[in-house]
Amino acid sequence: MTVLTIPSRRRAWGRSTAMIIVGAVVIGAFWSVDVNWARLADLPAQVMHYLWLMFSDPNWSKVPEALGQTWKSVAMAWVGTVIGILLSFPLGFLAARGFSPAPVRWSMRVGFAIIRAVPEIIIAIAILSVTGLTPLTGALALAIGSVGTLGKWGYEAIEGVDPGPIEATRASGGNIAQILRWGVWPSATPDFISFWLYRFEINVRSSAVLGLIGVGGIGDMLTSYTQFREWSTVGVLIIVVVIVTMGIDAISGAIRRRIVEGT
Amino acid sequence: MSARGATVARTIATLDIPPRPGCQWKPWCAVGLVAIITVITLSPQWGIDFSLEAIARNWQNGAEKILQLLVPDWSFFPRTVPALLETLQMAVIATAVAAVVSLPLSLATARLTNPNGYSRRLVRAVLNVIRSIPDLLYAAILVAMVGVGALPGIIALVLFNVGIIVKMVSESIEANDPGALEAGRAAGGNQVQINRASALPDIMPSFINQTLYVLELNVRASAVLGLVGAGGLGLLIDAVRTFYRYDQLSLIILEILIIVMALDLLSNAVRRRLV
Repeated sequence: MTVLTIPSRRRAWGRSTAMIIVGAVVIGAFWSVDVNWARLADLPAQVMHYLWLMFSDPNWSKVPEALGQTWKSVAMAWVGTVIGILLSFPLGFLAARGFSPAPVRWSMRVGFAIIRAVPEIIIAIAILSVTGLTPLTGALALAIGSVGTLGKWGYEAIEGVDPGPIEATRASGGNIAQILRWGVWPSATPDFISFWLYRFEINVRSSAVLGLIGVGGIGDMLTSYTQFREWSTVGVLIIVVVIVTMGIDAISGAIRRRIVEGT
Repeated sequence: MSARGATVARTIATLDIPPRPGCQWKPWCAVGLVAIITVITLSPQWGIDFSLEAIARNWQNGAEKILQLLVPDWSFFPRTVPALLETLQMAVIATAVAAVVSLPLSLATARLTNPNGYSRRLVRAVLNVIRSIPDLLYAAILVAMVGVGALPGIIALVLFNVGIIVKMVSESIEANDPGALEAGRAAGGNQVQINRASALPDIMPSFINQTLYVLELNVRASAVLGLVGAGGLGLLIDAVRTFYRYDQLSLIILEILIIVMALDLLSNAVRRRLV
């Protein structure tokens, strides 16, 4: 009779060192950060108090103005997304393997990575000396921010395309433009449309935030009413933001699901 | 035999190019719709007033400022160090807390690991609401509640992260093979035991992956939370932007860039080892 032995546990030195390092970093951060943790004790009471101020008697008369400002934010997000798509689409091809020489490709990729590392609100601060405190600044900041992510997703989608149709187009004498149109575009379209919509969802959220530096939209309104401590209005604004964001997410999610499932 | 050959020949002769799939007008309709919405959003009375006039007017003065971005003010570096450290501390603490909180919540929002429909839907609904509020808005409100400093920033980041981690991890639970979970049930385990023994090892890679991703997001987000008074680099950004010190802003951006990219390299290395 053969004796079955339980296989011995693999010694995972790597894992335990990693755990120790992570633990040390986290503990170090907790220990060194300048925070009065005692304030956490009365946080639940504070939260209840402010939630009560915000939602017990919402100031519904502000709803029309809030909707108008939200529309402005959404418009900012839309324009930013459209400009971002127009810029990132050709750049995505320039960053894809097989469509451009290596130096161009790598400089594109580094460019996308740099943009992705900078928050949109900092982009907005950087360009507002030229564009001024207008919704246009917000839209342009979102557009630049979008180029970072859309460019990356774009070249990933292009490189992920099945090479068969591309080779077929090349074999039948297609030039680069024709290869893109007939070899790449038909199979990459669902991906592209899907992540364009996804980026629009992200931009809707960011546009609400951009108002903080005064470019207009719902963020502007929220900041000022928070500063005036008019909580009943802040409550209404939060409700509007949540409903509009969730509504746009739901619509865009439904479209994306239909496109990906190929109906 | 020959009759069959003739049928085949006839079929081949009548074979035509198959009709194009789908309707041709659909893509053009979509393009048209996008164009119409774009025109509306650009129009002065309905949308955001896309006028290039301001740009033309400010170009001279603005371009100088933007050029300053290319020449960082290195002497500003010592002043940025404490703020930078605080940003990193906030990011690490928020990520750690969010990871601890989201692990049980992700198990609670996936159908395979929480068969109870009511509790699942309740947790999902709450998280959907939490996710739809941007982190900076949390920070702005929390600053009013608990006062300025790193604390409101950390809480805002935790709320923002829990939404992301739970959504991604619970999706990856749903995508997993239910076989191991069924085996656990067949062996007589209760839901907690099943989750502990078979779901947890399965989702670990995706959980670590999301946590790393969130850490990256946090460094970027905590750099701007200070704009509303929630600590970190944002406070400095707010200070330099009011004085239009773009050479100092440039140094701050450079620091964020370096840290985000270093984290990106680190997490890529960890990810490669995980897979």
